[in-house]
Amino acid sequence: MKTIPVEAYFVVSMILFGLGILGLVVRRNLITVLMSLEVALNAVNVAFVGADAHMGLVEGQIFALFIIALAAVEAAVGLGIIIAIFRYRYVESTDEITDMRG
Amino acid sequence: MVRFLIFLLFSAWAIVSAVGVVTFANPIYVILWLLSCLIAIAGIFFVAGAELVGALQLLIYAVAIAVFYVFVLTAVPWEKAVKKDSHYRTEGILSLPVVLLLYLEMIIVFLLGVVASPEGKFREAMAKIGNAEVVGSVLFTKYFFAFEVVSLVLLIGMIGAVLIGRKESQTYEDDTG
Repeated sequence: MKTIPVEAYFVVSMILFGLGILGLVVRRNLITVLMSLEVALNAVNVAFVGADAHMGLVEGQIFALFIIALAAVEAAVGLGIIIAIFRYRYVESTDEITDMRG
Repeated sequence: MVRFLIFLLFSAWAIVSAVGVVTFANPIYVILWLLSCLIAIAGIFFVAGAELVGALQLLIYAVAIAVFYVFVLTAVPWEKAVKKDSHYRTEGILSLPVVLLLYLEMIIVFLLGVVASPEGKFREAMAKIGNAEVVGSVLFTKYFFAFEVVSLVLLIGMIGAVLIGRKESQTYEDDTG
């Protein structure tokens, strides 16, 4: 574990997180927005596990487990909301949901 | 050295897959790229010595959540939706400086934080009895309350998903009777 520098984990995590954020901004379809969010969550997991491997701790891995569980909840609730939106509005694009615009 | 080369292989795979997630237009291809990215990240976890998290990544993320996405993608009749372009192209180009600024800020914060990182106390124990045992023993003693709260969050999320996904007619038809 000493052979991999911790900066390498952080750089990979950072690139993945930036790509996830870019996907959140750029994507138009609601489901692909959620998939970009999954990429960003996994980037955070990479940073946690890499810091753990560097420092010899296990707290980061435990938080990674919690993040995986919360990502499952987020996927369930988010996809339920997307199905409800599609059922009432027949839209799949994020700029067509303008009911709460003032 | 071999370990670092394997790490570089898996991280290049993950980054290429993430680029595919962001760029491809068809949602089916996007879910396949996402699956590839999740498997590559599980490989990064295995290289880092976190076997338990890597195995759970494969089991929960790459199987359960990905299948869930595919199921929703096939269950929703997308042909009824108004077809548009798959990306916000001008907004993406305009937001690129902000994303790069976020990258720069994260680089600075990370490289400052590496200097101040404390030294661990579990490395000898992990080398002796294995990763999953150490993670489990800490999880079920020190973080047991947080573990139970996460299970409660899972239960509430399941109830919320069932309530949200129900049809409107089924929700309100009992009020009239």
